Amino acid sequence: MPAAPVIAAVGCTKIASEHRDCNARDLLADALLDLLADAGMDGLDAVEHGLASYESDHFNMQMTLGAILHDTIGMTPKPGLRIEGGGATGALALRTAWAHIQSGLCDSILVYGVEKNGRGVSSRTANQLFALSADVDWETAIGGTYTGFYAAMMRAHMAQYGTREEHFAHVAARNRGNAAFNPIAQKPMDISIEDVLRSRPVAEPYKLLDCSLLSDGAACILLASEAWAREHVPAFEARPPIFFTGTGCGTDTMRLGDRYPHITNFRAKQQAAQAAYAMADIGDPLREIDVAELYDSYSGVEIQAVEDLGWVARGNGGAAVADGAFDLDGALPVNTSGGLLGRGAPVGATGILQAMEVAQQLWGLADQRRQVAGAKRGLTDTHAGIASISVVNIFERHD
Amino acid sequence: MSDKVSNLIDITERESAADDIWTDFRPIERITLELAQRYHYSLGKQSRFFIELQNRRFFATACGSCGRVCAPPRPLCPACLQPTNWRELTGEGRLETWSTLHFSPGTNADVAALQTPYVLAYVLLDGADTLFPHVLRAEGESLRRGMRVRVAYNEGPVSHPIHLMVFVLA
Repeated sequence: MPAAPVIAAVGCTKIASEHRDCNARDLLADALLDLLADAGMDGLDAVEHGLASYESDHFNMQMTLGAILHDTIGMTPKPGLRIEGGGATGALALRTAWAHIQSGLCDSILVYGVEKNGRGVSSRTANQLFALSADVDWETAIGGTYTGFYAAMMRAHMAQYGTREEHFAHVAARNRGNAAFNPIAQKPMDISIEDVLRSRPVAEPYKLLDCSLLSDGAACILLASEAWAREHVPAFEARPPIFFTGTGCGTDTMRLGDRYPHITNFRAKQQAAQAAYAMADIGDPLREIDVAELYDSYSGVEIQAVEDLGWVARGNGGAAVADGAFDLDGALPVNTSGGLLGRGAPVGATGILQAMEVAQQLWGLADQRRQVAGAKRGLTDTHAGIASISVVNIFERHD
Repeated sequence: MSDKVSNLIDITERESAADDIWTDFRPIERITLELAQRYHYSLGKQSRFFIELQNRRFFATACGSCGRVCAPPRPLCPACLQPTNWRELTGEGRLETWSTLHFSPGTNADVAALQTPYVLAYVLLDGADTLFPHVLRAEGESLRRGMRVRVAYNEGPVSHPIHLMVFVLA
C-alpha cells in the first residue's frame, strides 16, 4: 500500500447557533478562504478532486447541494462526489478521501463539510427532521427522538454498570469548559457538575446541559499525497507532516431494540476502533494515543466511547471520566476543542472539525491553554444515529 | 422594509468588523419558505402487523431457519436471508429500558396529542428476541427494569396505525 495521505491544510468558519448572513455556500466560501490562508495557496487550480460532506437536504431545502458547493468554489469541471452517513458524514468523507488517495485515483482531494442546522428552522422542526433519520415506521411514528434513544441506552448502562448522572455531568461541564480555549467554539460555558444536574430534564436521564448543540458552520481539509503537498502547499514544509494512518468503520442495526441484549454500548464503534488500530499498528491505544476528539452528542456517549474504544474496561467508563482521566491534564485529553457539547456540531462539518482539532494539536498550534504538550498521535470518533455507522480515524505527526 | 415581498422576515444591515471582507454584501434579506408533502406511503410487507392491531392481535416474525423472533417484524431474516413467517405473540412482556421524554417532536397527530412527559419504553415481549419500542402509559418515577407490561389496544381513529396500540403496566 502507498504511504498514507497527509493533511495538507485545514480551514473552517466560527461555529455558531446561527450565521444569519450566510447560506450554506457562503459558509463554505469562508471556510475555504480560511484553508487557503492556512495553506499559503492562492487558489485551487492544482487540486484534483472535490468531496462534499453534508447530511441534510431537508435543512437546506436543497437537494444536490454537493454539486452547488463544488460549483461555488470553482472546482468544476474536476471530479466530485457527495458523501452522507448521518452524524458520521464528515469522518466518512475523510475516510472516502483517504481511499481516493490510497487507490491512486488522485493525489489531492478537498473535503468540504457544511451544515446549517442552527435556527433556519424551529427546534421542533429540527427535531422532526432529525427524527426522520430514525426508523420512520417504528421509531419516528411513536414519538421517539434521538435524545430518547440515547437516554434509554444510558439508563441501561447505568442499570448494568452503576454509571451515575454525576459521571456524565462531568463530561458536560469539562467539554464546555475546554471550549473556552477554542476561538471557533459556539458555546463555551463555565459550569459545574451541579449546574448540569440541576438543568431541566429533556429525556431522562439526560438534561438540557447533557445535550449537544444545533449549529451552523463549515470546515474543510485538503488531503494529499506527501509529494503533492510538498509541491503545491507552501505552508506544508513549515510544519511537521501529519499522516492519516488509520481508518476504521463499523455498523450496527438501525433500531436499538434489534441489538438486544447489547444495548449499553456501541458495537459499531468497537469494530471501527479495532480496524483503525490494526491499520495504524496501535496495540495499546490508551498509551499510544495522545489526544482525541470523541463524539459527545450527549454527555454519556463519551463514557460509552472510552469503553468501546478499548481504553477502559466495560462499565468503568463513568468512574474513569469522573476521575479526570480524559481532562486536559489527564492521561488522554479528549474533546480539547469543546466537542459537540461546547464547540458545536454542524453535522456534515463535525467529523472534519474533529480532524482539524487533532491536526492543530499535532502541529502544536492549538491555544496553549488547551494544547496537549508534545502530542504525536490523535484519534477522531464519529458516529451516525445511535452508532448505526461508526468511523474512527487516526492521524500521526512524523518529525 | 418592503411590502413587495409577502413572506419577508427582515432585511438587516449588519455591523462589519474591521477585517470583514464581505462589506459589499450587506444588507441580508431573510424570507420564509414552506415545503409540505403528502406521501402515499406503503407499509410494505410489514402491513399485516398494523392490520392485526385493528383485531387486537400482536404479531411478530419468526425465521424458519434460525428461529429468531423479531418484533418489530422483519420480512427478510437478516441472518439467513430467507423470508420469515408471521407468529402471534400474547402482547405481554417485560420492561428492559426506557426514557421519560419531556419534549415531543409532534411527529404526527397522535404524537402531538401525547401529554409530556411521556415514557419511551423498550419491551421484551414474551417469545421475542428483540425489544419493541413504544410509548408506555405510566409515571416515569414508578418504573423498574423487569416490570411486567402488556399491549393495550384502542379503536382509533389514529393518524398512524402504530397508535392502535400502546404499552401499559400489566
